[in-house]
Amino acid sequence: MVLYENNKEKYDSIPKEKFVQVQKDQEIHDVDFKTKPIGFFMDVWLRFVKNKASVIAAVIIFILSIFAIAGPSMSDYRYDEQHPELVNMPPKIPAIAKMNLGIFDGAYLLENRQYDNLSDPEKYPEGCVLEILNPRLVNGQRIVDVYVDYYKYMGLEDEDCYWLGSDYLGRDIWTRLWRGTRVSLLIAVISVCCNVFIGVIYGSISGYYGGKVDMVMMRITEIISAFPRIVVVTLFIMVAGTGMFSIIMSLVIKDWVDTARMVRAQFYRFKGREYVLAARTLGVPDMLLIFRHILPNSIGPIITSSMIAIPSAIFSESFLAYIGLGLQAPEPSLGVMLSRGQKVLLYFPSQLVFPAIVISLLMISFNLFGNGLRDAFDPTLRGAE
Amino acid sequence: MDKKEKILEIKDLCMDFQSGRKEKVRALNHVTLDIYKGENFGLVGESGCGKTTLGRTVIRLYNPTSGEILFNGKSISGKLTKSDRDYITSNLAMIFQDPISSLNPRMTVEEIISEGLKIRGMKDPAQCREVVNNLLNRVGLLPEHATRYPHEFSGGQRQRIGIARALAVKPSFIIADEPVSALDVSIQAQVINLLMDIKKEMDLTILFIAHNLAVVKYFSDRIGVMYFGTLVELADADELYDHPLHPYTKSLLSAIPLPDPLREKDKQRLYYDPAVHDYSTHQPRLQEVRPGHFVYASDPEVEQYRKELEQGK
Repeated sequence: MVLYENNKEKYDSIPKEKFVQVQKDQEIHDVDFKTKPIGFFMDVWLRFVKNKASVIAAVIIFILSIFAIAGPSMSDYRYDEQHPELVNMPPKIPAIAKMNLGIFDGAYLLENRQYDNLSDPEKYPEGCVLEILNPRLVNGQRIVDVYVDYYKYMGLEDEDCYWLGSDYLGRDIWTRLWRGTRVSLLIAVISVCCNVFIGVIYGSISGYYGGKVDMVMMRITEIISAFPRIVVVTLFIMVAGTGMFSIIMSLVIKDWVDTARMVRAQFYRFKGREYVLAARTLGVPDMLLIFRHILPNSIGPIITSSMIAIPSAIFSESFLAYIGLGLQAPEPSLGVMLSRGQKVLLYFPSQLVFPAIVISLLMISFNLFGNGLRDAFDPTLRGAE
Repeated sequence: MDKKEKILEIKDLCMDFQSGRKEKVRALNHVTLDIYKGENFGLVGESGCGKTTLGRTVIRLYNPTSGEILFNGKSISGKLTKSDRDYITSNLAMIFQDPISSLNPRMTVEEIISEGLKIRGMKDPAQCREVVNNLLNRVGLLPEHATRYPHEFSGGQRQRIGIARALAVKPSFIIADEPVSALDVSIQAQVINLLMDIKKEMDLTILFIAHNLAVVKYFSDRIGVMYFGTLVELADADELYDHPLHPYTKSLLSAIPLPDPLREKDKQRLYYDPAVHDYSTHQPRLQEVRPGHFVYASDPEVEQYRKELEQGK
């Protein structure tokens, strides 16, 4: 007003028709979007594929799973087929052996052999000698160490090769490795699924209702988590026996607590959100609130944490097998094979190396995959542990 | 406007929140007010004074500690049976403050708007879709927007989706909890005008909670001022702006920015100090100083306010 009064002449000299009233009874009507609708999971997918490391991890997991399914039937040997005459055989894959790369050629070091005998086809069949080392004279005898193709040395055909060697009972490591991977993955996936199932229900109820219900339910989880894990698991297996089921149950018996806590925290995070309040003012019943409004919003952390729980379940299973609480023989698992391989590490390192590579790949891949998923589900958490 | 018909009566409403083991925070302190059918009731006050708590208690997101709430003469305070809750949810609706967090990010617009309908037994998808499309048109959106997710919309659009959701259940009373305070100034008018139009069309009563006094004055027929859980003044909008009595109201009004920089520069801000009240001898209560104009004051103060009004004339 003051502004107007001070400059009255200036304002009044502007002709009236130059003033136009803006936004009077203007109907608001928005235009249609040009883009395609992007749903939540599409959005996650777009973010996920940007993360190269986790895509590679996902591919590795996929390949390992394929091998875990098809691997055992690719070899002619069965996982429990014993060949007492062919124990601790070195790995040989004929196609790779032909390339002379020095790997998978069934090479085995025979020490202190008489040089003269090497040409005797009775003792050393045609083409079995790969490399001669350390020629020396001992008591006038020409002594050498010699690398032989052990399969030819034993008089076996190429078709009978153990691709990854055999173990102390002459069982095919290839077959056992993939069957063990299958068993380990099954144990891990099933136990994590059970964890998530129990944990989501328990955590939802605890987190949604809060108050006294929450108080009692959380004290119960604290009691459960206060027992040392290894004691509980050991006792459980001793009571229930060493089957696949009891190993799964022993992993579930304590681990669901973590999932329950995580889900509860998610519920506390989301239940006060305005859209949940809005749904309550519309009269949405509790069950629908839990499963339609709160749970879908916490699905990201749940999927991520269960992905990260899988390698730790694999590891736990291996650990149990390692301390002798694993599956009943002859059923293989990665842990059983590792614990066997470790005993002969110095003489037959390949028996340890292959299961170790597979378990390492699984652990790294699942961790990377889980991290990628977490970043995709919730970009604000990028880089946080 | 028929002022006689009360749609909502709040009597002596108290709401305590537990803070810590023993301590309590009284968010609402014996609030008494009536809202008449068809009016816009504005509720103002500073942050944390209990405006939102009042709104949420009325729609029973919170359980009141004591007091009574009557809606169309039916009590909706105290323990609720399922039919009571249905009665509340189908007659009262709420519009929320934050357009971002008040829409579920995992649901499409259609799912959000039709949720209330589905709970009330509208099973036929085609019928639902038609209602949703009508509502979307009503709030200035397109039916094509129904399949979209909330994150694809702007703040004003989302707030309009929130309004459509509230309207879907055909309520007679809407609690608008700061519906425009999170919006851009240019969008505020758009949403307010939309609310006004819809109100006229659907014969609604609106409890409008805000802290922007200019918006409240534009929107409301009557205004209540709250201070720390207490309703300190209640009057017709013009009356309140022309003759504020309670020192807190005066202080609030003095804080309104003026669109004229020269006057704004000379403006005198008043600060409210609760110590000006002497309640040692006379207890304060909400008293009618002049018809329709209530002030929370003790008897001597009321005398003083009346004198003030006489002089003002």
